[in-house]
Amino acid sequence: MSGTASGPRVGEWVVLYVVSVLAALVLSAILVQATGGQWRPVVNALLDGSIRNPGRIGETLGTAAPMLLVAIGTIISSKAGLINIGQEGQLFVGAAFATYFGFLIGGPGALNVVLILIFGAIGGALWAGVAAVLKYWRNVPEVLSTLLLVTVGGQLVAYGLSQSWLLLAPLADRGNRNQVSSQLAEGNRLPRLEISGNEIPFAVFLGIGLAIVVSLALSRTVWGFMLRMLGRNPRAAQRSGVAQTKYGATAIMLSGAFAGLAGAAMLAGGGFAFGNYQLVPGFSTNIGWTGLLVALVAREKALVAIPVAFVFAGLRTGSSFVGATGVEGRITDVIQGFLVLALLVPPAVMFLRDRKRARDAATERT
Amino acid sequence: MSSPGSLGHSGQDHGGTGSVEPVPAVAFNNITKTFGAVTACDGVDLSVHRGRIHGVLGENGAGKSTLMKMLIGLVLPDSGSIAIDGTTQHIQSPLAAASLGIGMVHQHFSLVDALTVWENVALGEAGKLDPDAVRNRIGDIADQYGLMIDPDAQVGSLSAGLRQRVEIIKCLRRDPNIVIFDEPTSVLTPDESVQLFESLRHVVAAEGRAVVLVSHKLDEVLHATDDITIMRQGKVVDRLEAATADAPTLARGMVGREVSLRSERAALGVLDVSADPSDSAAKPSNPNDSAPVLRIQNATARGIGGVALLDDLSIELRAGEIVGVAGVEGNGQRELGDLLSSLLSLQSGTVSIDGVQVPDGKSGAMARAGIGVIPEDRHDSGIVLDMSLAENLVLVDQSAVARRGFIDGSALRDFAEKMIDEFAIQCSGPDAPMWSLSGGNQQRVVLARELSQQPKVLVAAQPTRGLDVGAIEYMGQRLEAAAEAGVAVLLISSELEEILDLAHRIVVMNSGRIVGEVDRADANLESLGLMMGGANA
Repeated sequence: MSGTASGPRVGEWVVLYVVSVLAALVLSAILVQATGGQWRPVVNALLDGSIRNPGRIGETLGTAAPMLLVAIGTIISSKAGLINIGQEGQLFVGAAFATYFGFLIGGPGALNVVLILIFGAIGGALWAGVAAVLKYWRNVPEVLSTLLLVTVGGQLVAYGLSQSWLLLAPLADRGNRNQVSSQLAEGNRLPRLEISGNEIPFAVFLGIGLAIVVSLALSRTVWGFMLRMLGRNPRAAQRSGVAQTKYGATAIMLSGAFAGLAGAAMLAGGGFAFGNYQLVPGFSTNIGWTGLLVALVAREKALVAIPVAFVFAGLRTGSSFVGATGVEGRITDVIQGFLVLALLVPPAVMFLRDRKRARDAATERT
Repeated sequence: MSSPGSLGHSGQDHGGTGSVEPVPAVAFNNITKTFGAVTACDGVDLSVHRGRIHGVLGENGAGKSTLMKMLIGLVLPDSGSIAIDGTTQHIQSPLAAASLGIGMVHQHFSLVDALTVWENVALGEAGKLDPDAVRNRIGDIADQYGLMIDPDAQVGSLSAGLRQRVEIIKCLRRDPNIVIFDEPTSVLTPDESVQLFESLRHVVAAEGRAVVLVSHKLDEVLHATDDITIMRQGKVVDRLEAATADAPTLARGMVGREVSLRSERAALGVLDVSADPSDSAAKPSNPNDSAPVLRIQNATARGIGGVALLDDLSIELRAGEIVGVAGVEGNGQRELGDLLSSLLSLQSGTVSIDGVQVPDGKSGAMARAGIGVIPEDRHDSGIVLDMSLAENLVLVDQSAVARRGFIDGSALRDFAEKMIDEFAIQCSGPDAPMWSLSGGNQQRVVLARELSQQPKVLVAAQPTRGLDVGAIEYMGQRLEAAAEAGVAVLLISSELEEILDLAHRIVVMNSGRIVGEVDRADANLESLGLMMGGANA
């Protein structure tokens, strides 16, 4: 039954996506025109800034990498039926952990870079772990606690950045700025690979590699099987020996670990939007939120998250060129919103249709 | 509200015969309602009189709820008419019903936990909200009917009995002439039930309202009502006066379907007609010899508000025997199934398999100990609709298809294909999403999975619900085969025939307790019906 149904359904998917993305683009064009701009130059600026100009693909890839890492983590928790929306904070706390331990351990070398990444992941996992504890000890919905912990995390890191015994750089390294950490030394940074004028940060390969690993782990391993069972039917999982506390907490903490890893990768990778290998207030620059959107659009498929992250990163890198056209650069935020909605409409339509089919099938049998 | 007293009294003499009557408050005339192929109500005639409590008795699915839904405008009859105070009415909506003075206290509460009592009572009122007026009205009703309650208490903090009191006040506040109570005691403790019926008497005696009490409990129908109508399979099978009725009569009327399924099976040649009930003694298991495989001792679990879900329940099960758990639904059968599925934790008591105690409520513990379960609601804990058929076949144990933590796709497919053949599961293949299967085939997947684990104990809870005759036969054969292979089978069912067909031994559940146990050979419908109704516990 599903075999014969899949043929026409691929067609349905394509048509739905084309129609809704076109609608989003037309709406965006209208918006640009209505705010006094010309849509054609804006599109050109977006393309120039994201892929066409020399070196921009590298920037876009570098921006996509942490989004992808965040998205992978989000996919893990949502497979387990848990809604972690606190990646922005987990990323920031992870970056703070990475900074603190990066300087505490110090010394040059590749090992230190690896440790920085690991500590970033640990920081993110611990911060998400707070939500896990609240959920399984006191029944606090994770969707609330993870969100609220974003604010708490931001304040904590800001405090750390005001204290020289924590994250604040010594006076000599601070210049005229308050609240910055020291810069990571040359040897403690993530390497970049140069391909035809584009500098591709190492985090890109890390992200793609981990996307493949997680995709396999979720679909092929017993662990992934258990996690999916928990996400789709917690009661069947409970009977079958999937302890909700253990698997659920693991999933939340893993998703936090990926966000923290993204933060560490931003810190040690530097580049376009991620500053100068040092922690500053507002360091996370919405990468956590955008990563969440990437996961939302990729719909629990880690491999699909790769191109989606690239598109979202392209909107971001491209938007820096849009300002030159006389149109407010932030208009790309609105375009991004349209695009997210456009990409979410087809799955929603198909979901409703599937459910209707399932329901019809269910009523048929009684 | 028009001079009801005299009508009620004059009606008393004629009771339930329904022949020579004053104008009844409610008269159903030849009501028929079908849902698809199912006839929920089949030519029902029923009259309810003022000043009297009318009990409508029947098993689940007998059509009593559908009938009441027509009265409050939730369901429209296909044919027949409803007359209120002698005037034929087309009740199209609950609002129309309310304007005719008909109110219903639902089985499941429709209260907002976060609001206070008076806020809940005021919900749905039109016009300007006057808190003090509402509070006063609640006070009046409380005095009048003995339904004491604090109007400022938060509903979420109240016990089930008090919540129901709020529901009743909510209903009475609108001053209905006709009040329907749908299974009102299903969530109450015995004490709360007694209180409820006392206030019910007030409702009737004080103002001559007409009350309909829908129930499947013999005791409460017998003691709390004046007239009784018994329904079975959409039809009215008997009308009695409570004063002259007795529990055995009611039990027989409610469950008396001696000839239905069993004879059908015999006619199909599936059931050996000569298989006299006394044959069960000749089955391989001799209950007194072998040690029990499953032993539940003094299991007690309480729900919200302290209602006993399982109450000091003890059952022993030996290898090779089928023990039927009979009882009207909602008397703890679901909880018994949940307990054996690791979905319920006990306040006290133990479960053990082969003498080894199994921790209750610990995920996977019961399954690992060798308890297979065909759950009452397969969508609840039996299958995962969004996973494939093959994956659903290994939900509980993946060891056969996994190597070093990875699931071997081809091994899984092979296993699934084997099961599809063996259990004749109709599907497009191992990868078919579970939701694409029909109910009967989903049930076969559950059966295939649980039997392939080679369980020591197999719990089958309402295993044939919603299945067609062929699928019912198949399930019965499988359960019998499992027992012959040495599995201890616990058959939980509200279908008495099913239990009488398959079980060697029958226990009866009422209010979370085992209230009786009989051998199949000594079982008769009447005594079982009595025990199910909790008449002589």
